Amino acid sequence: MNNDLQERLSLLHYQPDEKWQHVTILDQTICRDCKNKQCLTFCPSGVFRENSQKKQSLLILYKQCVECGGCRLICDNIDFSYPKGGYGVTFLEG
Amino acid sequence: MLKHWYQAKKPRKIGKYNNAHYDTSNRGKYDAIVVGAGPAGASAAYFMAKQGLTVLLLERGPFPGAKVCGGTSLISEHTHKLFPNFWDECPCERIVTQQAYWLMTEDSLLSTSFQSTNLAAAPYNHITVKRKLFYQWLVDKGMAVGVDIHFNHHVTEVLFENNQAVGVQVSPPQNCQFFANIIILADGANAMVGQRSGLVPRVSPQDLALYVKETIALPAKVIEERFNLLPGYGSLIGVLGYPTAGFNGTSSIHTFKDCINLNVGMAISDFAISGIRPYDLLDRIKKHPLIKPLLLGGTVLEYGAAVIPEGGYHAVPELVHPGLMILGDAGSLVNGTHGINLAMWSGFFAAQAANESKKSRDFSIEKLSLYRTLLDESFIMQDLKANAKIASLQRDLPYLFDLYSKIVNQTAFHVAKVYTMPKKAKRIFIFKKITSIQPLLKMASDIWKVLKVVKG
Repeated sequence: MNNDLQERLSLLHYQPDEKWQHVTILDQTICRDCKNKQCLTFCPSGVFRENSQKKQSLLILYKQCVECGGCRLICDNIDFSYPKGGYGVTFLEG
Repeated sequence: MLKHWYQAKKPRKIGKYNNAHYDTSNRGKYDAIVVGAGPAGASAAYFMAKQGLTVLLLERGPFPGAKVCGGTSLISEHTHKLFPNFWDECPCERIVTQQAYWLMTEDSLLSTSFQSTNLAAAPYNHITVKRKLFYQWLVDKGMAVGVDIHFNHHVTEVLFENNQAVGVQVSPPQNCQFFANIIILADGANAMVGQRSGLVPRVSPQDLALYVKETIALPAKVIEERFNLLPGYGSLIGVLGYPTAGFNGTSSIHTFKDCINLNVGMAISDFAISGIRPYDLLDRIKKHPLIKPLLLGGTVLEYGAAVIPEGGYHAVPELVHPGLMILGDAGSLVNGTHGINLAMWSGFFAAQAANESKKSRDFSIEKLSLYRTLLDESFIMQDLKANAKIASLQRDLPYLFDLYSKIVNQTAFHVAKVYTMPKKAKRIFIFKKITSIQPLLKMASDIWKVLKVVKG
């Protein structure tokens, strides 16, 4: 995993929702056959990650999502909604 | 591309969630509900409450501005007309006295910069602000005139009765409904509430840009030295070319009191097809030999990402529906670098329409269309219309920023460099250099296309 990104994400404040995942994949079989996997590079907070065993399903690290909402536009197989009230990221510096 | 077009144009079923079995115990309590406490929503709430409407403002974050980031500046004149002498009360960072554009390549930087002490006197021109503090100030103004605000309330969809918007659904943990005659959606660039309710078509990834930012802390004195500023004054720099690695996009540097915001971004579709990781662009800029010294010794305070509508006039959806109005970024009311200001004005206009509606007890689309009329008559829609073709121009000429940054920097290099050849020979030499990058006819046609669009 990209260390630069982990360093950046460590600066952010999160209130993670342990009970509900706000980014999901609708059909994992589509991902298994997907050649582009644009989600892996697109996401500015690296939410989508390939499993170390390549045949496994994608990992969704939704707790580090910065809620830009871009992923739902690059792939129809991604279901994105904002986290429930009170959860998710907070920006302090503008 | 066709897929995007189809999805953007696909008609949506309005009133999908028509359901008569609501808990209507809070019905009648509010004249208007505003979704989103950003500049659009907070302004609408303030101006409605000021005119005597009862207003409920719902925000999904724990405080105003919690869910958005990116360096920003207010356009002073626009803001001053809505909130006279706002600079006396609002938490401003720096008054901008230097506005610049930098055209960059890997090794060079051609700058067009304007700096003037005339910009340092009221009513100023641009003033940089931090989102959290500025949004809070706007919300506080609303609360002072009686706006009720609930934080941590995430609205998921609009509730309809016979296609008339009558309320909003809040997600768990509250899982409740609120009702009012007027619903205002100011939920930001993703416009999720409007989309889920079938009011706004799905945005095309070409019309929405993803920006990443870093806030870098530096002592105020160091910022002023490095940017050649008097104490308390600031720079606003747009950077084109190099930052977006060959694509059409922009980068910007905003100076705050004791930090700098570095932003960079381009269309979501460009990020997707190029496979460039958004934060890699930030690293790339920070390593540039001419940017590095500006940031030297700074510590990164915060990283973030957000989307901005860039579809322009043609991407503006239907803004008025029965009992409902769409404001600011949610309505794609962004014109180049102008966003917050248009958002606040759209809030102001929507408040006028809401007030007229309430007086006549008529919440139909005809009555609320006053909002659209006021927008159309104002600089907002007229300027958006004048710039309507910019989005398609950037699609037509995907090399525009990159190639021409290179050409002007090459030209500047050879003009600046002294050769041991006669001036006339040098001019021919430069001309040959430039036309070897882009053929003359192609260049002329590009320039013509750009001029046609800029002229409006």
